[in-house]
Amino acid sequence: MNLVVEEIRSEFPIFQRKIHGKRLVYLDSAASAQKPRVVIDAMRKVYEQSYANVHRGIYTLAEEATEAYEGVREKVARFINAPESAEIINVRNATEGLNLVAYAWGEDNIEAGDRIVVTEMEHHSNLVPWQQLAQRKGADLAYVGLTDGGELDLESLANLLEDGRVKVLACSMMSNVLGTIPPIRSIVEMAHQAGALVVVDAAQAAPHVPVDVRALGADFLAFSGHKLGAPGVGILWGRRKILESMRPFLYGGDMIRRVEKHRAVWNDVPYKFEAGTPPIAEVVGLGAALDFLSHVGMYAVRQHEEMLVAHAMAQLLDVPGLRIYGPGPALRGGAVSFTLDGIHPHDIASILDEEGVCIRAGLHCAEPLHARFNLPATARASFYIYNGEDDVRALVVGLHKVIKILGRG
Amino acid sequence: MSDLYREYMLDHYHNPRNYGAVDGPDVDIDMDNPTCGDKIHLTARLDDDGHIAEVQFEGQGCVVSMASASMLSEEVVGKTPEDIAAMDLEDVQDMMGGVRLSMGRVKCATLALNALKRGLKEAGKLADDTEA
Repeated sequence: MNLVVEEIRSEFPIFQRKIHGKRLVYLDSAASAQKPRVVIDAMRKVYEQSYANVHRGIYTLAEEATEAYEGVREKVARFINAPESAEIINVRNATEGLNLVAYAWGEDNIEAGDRIVVTEMEHHSNLVPWQQLAQRKGADLAYVGLTDGGELDLESLANLLEDGRVKVLACSMMSNVLGTIPPIRSIVEMAHQAGALVVVDAAQAAPHVPVDVRALGADFLAFSGHKLGAPGVGILWGRRKILESMRPFLYGGDMIRRVEKHRAVWNDVPYKFEAGTPPIAEVVGLGAALDFLSHVGMYAVRQHEEMLVAHAMAQLLDVPGLRIYGPGPALRGGAVSFTLDGIHPHDIASILDEEGVCIRAGLHCAEPLHARFNLPATARASFYIYNGEDDVRALVVGLHKVIKILGRG
Repeated sequence: MSDLYREYMLDHYHNPRNYGAVDGPDVDIDMDNPTCGDKIHLTARLDDDGHIAEVQFEGQGCVVSMASASMLSEEVVGKTPEDIAAMDLEDVQDMMGGVRLSMGRVKCATLALNALKRGLKEAGKLADDTEA
């Protein structure tokens, strides 16, 4: 089924907005996505009709709020095909989910001499927690390399796994800079055969491609709601057995069963990992966003973006001096990073802004990746379901303007 | 067209003044904005009275960071380290022809000034507790 961009766009109130008198061309969804009306309405409904704290109250409002909040756990489980909703932990964002694993699992399972493996394309959120864990424990931190074409070098992974010292592999399911979609199922299989757990950063993947944790076979997977049209809330999925063996990450209310003066007993999963009052309306908003995406269909989302990215890459390569980094459309998601010869990405972003075109410029929280390609910074256009060929046209016209203003020739 | 890309700015960007490095510098410092990838190597020489005699810079970055470095290299000649310590964003915006910088560009615009301030401190020309 083909997705009709005009119809999708009409579901997002922000596209009525003008920027400097121009139509809003939003090409920064890899950083954060715009919100459909159903999400905004769902959150408003919580606050206007059913708001109370969850889990404790025995009055009508509290029961409604709890039902709405817990109902989303089921939706998330279905969205990623998790075996049970008790494996779904609400967190602030993917970053917090990844930190949760690095602390609550890492502290008790990584020792001096162990090896932790990440990849050169990781976002800082799936890199720094592991780097710091390795430092605390005296463990090795090793990197799966990237080919010049921006794909993971699986041979380097095989070499790292060979001596059996790898305890955990942390890998992105889609690069936020190169767009690379690595062969994550094979990677999980390789790691498991070597006895390592696999932590998947799906912050970029979950909004754009179907995610099936059972098919993936990974042990943990984290993503952010705000990148798929929900508000600021994130999800960590983990295998129940592993979650149950882990210590808590944050301590406080709701995560305990009993507290005495000098000891405490933890609540069951997932509550053990949800200390304090959660972001109730935000979680309900996430549920509405998942309903919206499921209605569109994740296969349709992927198909639309693959076509749009192929179109965008072809158009962009006609712009003089423009270089795109990363693999071709079949192996990548909606993030397209590029440089223009002799022009700093900041200036590209500033001039495009005057045309109503929103792109990102800089290192996109992936400094080692930029170092790998010897790039001081890149410009990044990223696409989502509400983007169409008209947005690509606006981007290309804007880039010609950038060259006209800043080019020496 | 926004203020940022006026002819005055582009002239300093395309034809940077004092681009290079000072011989026998009193101040010699590298600084970068890690989030956006602007980099500057700034060198300066003071005269016998302790005033700035010469500033040169080299680096890579956006129009705002490179043009402001070029302008600063002219602006500060003859000033004392204390004069420079007292300069702030307002002065940089005035120097750039009165542009109003958005929050995202402030770091770019003040990169050269901050490099010079820190370089003067490291060279012992400014007290460590001077605000910079």
